[in-house]
Amino acid sequence: MASIDITDVRKAYGSTKILHGVDLTIKDGEFVVLVGPSGCGKSTLLRMIAGLEDISSGEIRIGGRIVNDLDPKDRDIAMVFQSYALYPHMTVADNMSYSLRLRKTAKEKIASAISGAAAKLSLTPLMERRPKALSGGQRQRVAMGRAIVRSPKAFLFDEPLSNLDARLREHMRGEIKKLHQDLGATSIYVTHDQIEAMTLADRIVAMNAGLVQQVGSPLDLYDRPANLFVAGFMGSPAMNMFEGTYRAANGGTVELAQGVVVPLAGPAPTADGTKLTLGIRPEHVLVGKTGLEGIQALIDLVEPTGFGTILHASAFGADVKAFSLERGVAVRGDTVSVSFPVERIHLFDTATGSRIG
Amino acid sequence: MTEAVSAQYGRDRRPFLRRLAIASEPYLYSAPALILIVTVMLVPLAIGISYAFRDMTLLDPFSGGFIGLDHFRAIAKDKTFWLALKNTVYWTGYSVALQFAFGLILALLLDKPFYGRGLAQALCFLPWAVPSFLSGLNWAWMFNPVVGPIPHWLYGIGLMSAPDNILSDPDLAMWGPIIANVWWGIPFFAITLLAALQSIPRDLYEAAAIDGATPFQRFRSITLPFLAPTIAITVMLRTIWIANFADLIVVMTNGGPADKTQIVASYIFTQAFRRLDFGYASAIAMVLLLLLMVYSLLIVFLRQTLLKER
Ligand SMILES: Nc1ncnc2c1ncn2[C@@H]1O[C@H](COP(=O)(O)OP(=O)(O)OP(=O)(O)O)[C@@H](O)[C@H]1O
Ligand SMILES: [Mg+2]
Repeated sequence: MASIDITDVRKAYGSTKILHGVDLTIKDGEFVVLVGPSGCGKSTLLRMIAGLEDISSGEIRIGGRIVNDLDPKDRDIAMVFQSYALYPHMTVADNMSYSLRLRKTAKEKIASAISGAAAKLSLTPLMERRPKALSGGQRQRVAMGRAIVRSPKAFLFDEPLSNLDARLREHMRGEIKKLHQDLGATSIYVTHDQIEAMTLADRIVAMNAGLVQQVGSPLDLYDRPANLFVAGFMGSPAMNMFEGTYRAANGGTVELAQGVVVPLAGPAPTADGTKLTLGIRPEHVLVGKTGLEGIQALIDLVEPTGFGTILHASAFGADVKAFSLERGVAVRGDTVSVSFPVERIHLFDTATGSRIG
Repeated sequence: MTEAVSAQYGRDRRPFLRRLAIASEPYLYSAPALILIVTVMLVPLAIGISYAFRDMTLLDPFSGGFIGLDHFRAIAKDKTFWLALKNTVYWTGYSVALQFAFGLILALLLDKPFYGRGLAQALCFLPWAVPSFLSGLNWAWMFNPVVGPIPHWLYGIGLMSAPDNILSDPDLAMWGPIIANVWWGIPFFAITLLAALQSIPRDLYEAAAIDGATPFQRFRSITLPFLAPTIAITVMLRTIWIANFADLIVVMTNGGPADKTQIVASYIFTQAFRRLDFGYASAIAMVLLLLLMVYSLLIVFLRQTLLKER
């Protein structure tokens, strides 16, 4: 068990800069999830922590010790790969015991370690098989088993579930969470599935284009996104964003296109006339019969998800998405009124993208 | 196809000719390929083999008669043949072992990225493109103290007491063609092993590095098991190939001095094209064929048992 400190870490391949200075502190036993769009540098950061990739500049400490120049094997971390990277010519038992055998661990110790891990991951009946003869989910569990047998200082996961089908992914998500609660090991988990991020993380690190955008608890990121990127990235269906202008008069309003004015809870800490972006999550948009207070909108698409209904409406020249748990709120072609509850509105400075208030 | 299947049920009431047509359908489809294979491959083989049992001397117009196993009896007593067989084992063993060892080293070096790797790869594969006769001549000259540098180098570093031609030294002559063969054949192993190396998923090495394996342990527990099937098949192919490969020997030493570099393949060549005794040459070729077949069966059998153990 150990903390991991990342200080101003940068990465460049030749002249292409991939990471532009990442600062992050992961507490002992914490489960941190890195999320971000494809190509933003999540794997690169993880691989630098593992020692598979050189650190161009900056410092990484594991348990207080600088590991910049340490070989992967001396960092005492375990990694679960997206492809699982199981040794194909070794049995499950051999795959799991490989690291212990290399460390010349006593035979009895190895046996008890792998049988313990196998029991935890319900792999016991599969121990003599080769990876080829396993299903995707079983392989995934072997990869997990290989990581946990030697109780490393930290676990690194690079999209470990992305090769599984949705149902299995959900199941394994639960298993990983349970495992973490059992072992309490420091873990860094890379994913671009935000449900995984939300459910697993103690803290989420949202990254984009080689920069950390926001670090915080899952609900923090969801409820108070620090900027437009995080606001748009977290949540599905994605947050509605409308560009407008701030008007300080009347206790603070936002003027959207076509003269639509949305009242705010109170004056926003910004100057009158600032260009800003109003964000509201679809599940917070209220849809009602016309005539009620609100903005006139025409429903042009209804997507039932079973769990609820996603409504797409056009109003003031924009597409407004609303999510409702009720069914049959509206059908295509209906005219409805939509309104944005003041306490649910997020405001972002359009120019800088950062949150206002 | 459906008719063929339905024909299996119950008593068939269709006319005989129709049934015959259906039954022979698959054979008719494969007939063109079979006929081609038989005429192109089997007929010449059969004719060649038949020579082994006939008295076939090119310059004797009365030859061609059937003589049974006479040639084989002669082979059993032929000292040169036995010497050639022994030489073949040395020649093949050393050539394959050295080609493989250097080929593997080269492949491992070329597998790592470095500046100018593309060019290095192209250059390393160049010997393969040199015609074998040309490389034989080339090496023969290099070993020749009058025009070549190698004897002087060997003398210079003290490996030889005088700058002599090793090709005329009965004890060393075999090393001349072997060295030429190694130089010429390294690319074959390098290419095939490099291809196999590059098909090994990189993340296995990364996983092993994290698991704590040193480079050598990674080589042993990942590279070798992945290469094993390729190694088995290339070594087998190459062994048969080299055992049959007389070009370099014929060009460089022509079997001499005193048959010290005569291998079975070059002996066949000598018998056929210098003594013009095609029958005897054919008989020797058949013995070589049998030996190589036994060898390949052995390898295939070994491979099967190894694979089963997995
Ligand atoms: N060896 C390399 N040379 C040059 N650029 C590279 C190299 N490896 C990765 N990159 C670049 O670095 C960037 C970050 O890659 P990385 O694999 O970290 O992305 P990621 O966030 O993990 O994406 P994904 O979610 O698709 O896995 C990408 O733009 C990629 O093209
Ligand atoms: Mg990645």
